[in-house]
Amino acid sequence: MAKQTVKPNTSGNFVGILVVIAVIGIAAIAYLANGKGSKAVTVDPNVPAGAAQGYLFGKADAPVQIIEFGDFECPSCGQFATVTEPDIRARLIATGQVAFTYYDFPLDMHRNTWAASNSAACANDQGKFWEMHDRLFEGQNDWNTQATKDPVKVMKGYAKEIGLDVSTWQSCVDEAKHLGRIKGNRAEALRRNIQSTPTFIIGDKMVPGAIAYDTFKAYVDSAATAATAKGAAQPSAKAPATAPATAPTTKGAAK
Amino acid sequence: MNKRQAIAALSLVGFFLASYLTLYKLGYIGTLACGTGGCETVQLSKWGDFLGMPVAAWGALFYLAMCAAAICAEFEWVATQRLLGVAMTLMSGWGVLFSGWLTWLEIARIHAICRYCVVSALLVVVLFVLSVREWRELRAQGELRAQREG
Repeated sequence: MAKQTVKPNTSGNFVGILVVIAVIGIAAIAYLANGKGSKAVTVDPNVPAGAAQGYLFGKADAPVQIIEFGDFECPSCGQFATVTEPDIRARLIATGQVAFTYYDFPLDMHRNTWAASNSAACANDQGKFWEMHDRLFEGQNDWNTQATKDPVKVMKGYAKEIGLDVSTWQSCVDEAKHLGRIKGNRAEALRRNIQSTPTFIIGDKMVPGAIAYDTFKAYVDSAATAATAKGAAQPSAKAPATAPATAPTTKGAAK
Repeated sequence: MNKRQAIAALSLVGFFLASYLTLYKLGYIGTLACGTGGCETVQLSKWGDFLGMPVAAWGALFYLAMCAAAICAEFEWVATQRLLGVAMTLMSGWGVLFSGWLTWLEIARIHAICRYCVVSALLVVVLFVLSVREWRELRAQGELRAQREG
């Protein structure tokens, strides 16, 4: 008759090993999920931003100012832009609680990201940065390094879709007219010691990663409370101190 | 530690590794601890999902099944042991093929290497080798027992 028991001489050790692995595994995941890789760190919100010039979405004098350092070819940035950002726009920006400013942080590992930043900056000339921003992130897999060696061709299609004057946009892209601005934004990210994309500065917290809406909202609430406590409605994450050559694009400003 | 126990232990390690990637993919973890930066590229590429589920979730289920089979095989129920030996060999064999395909995608299509995927691929190969050896051993034991009983 079959014995349905574990061998007594090894069963104790075996179960012990499995338990140890399970404990280590759970602890490792908990550490990696909440460890320094994704934890917010406190930063000085009054650091001047140098020559960088971001793209503003919302009311410039909203109580909470949020900065994103993003890379158009970064998959996490794409995930955030397509999954979480629509909620932020509808619930936080449209209600006037938050102003959201995007800064380019093109990473070396992404060959086509400069073309994307350039495309978006040129769309901004026609007041459609955010339309291009959204389209680029939605179609990331169509123009990224793995997909094509000619990303501008794909982006030209986006320019048509969002209703840009394509010849003007194309000239701007060909001239790399806004290269200086993009480099300035990247330099700003490096100066702030941004380690990955996307990274957000919400109040005095620097938060890496494509965080979920609820987490994002918790940081916003915290920043809003701190701003209220100070008795000032001034922005908590300071906008660039050096005045840009042209005013940042403003969209979705709450009335 | 015998081969079945080693399979169970390594499968459990693989399960936690795959679970970590699954939690990231589902949005419960903000950033992956990945120095090369390739992990997020791989996880969020169009090959990051398979049959409507994250590839990492399939991996977690695979490791869980391997672990369960190896633990069950610890019980001295000969017929089941042999069956489980075959099952573990087939499952890990499929795992080797799938991991090989994923590694090829990383190199040739995605152009990014995820260190967790590399570790997982190595784990699967080790599991396959152990499963084959375990299966052959169980088969030999079964034949010997049959000869004695016969």
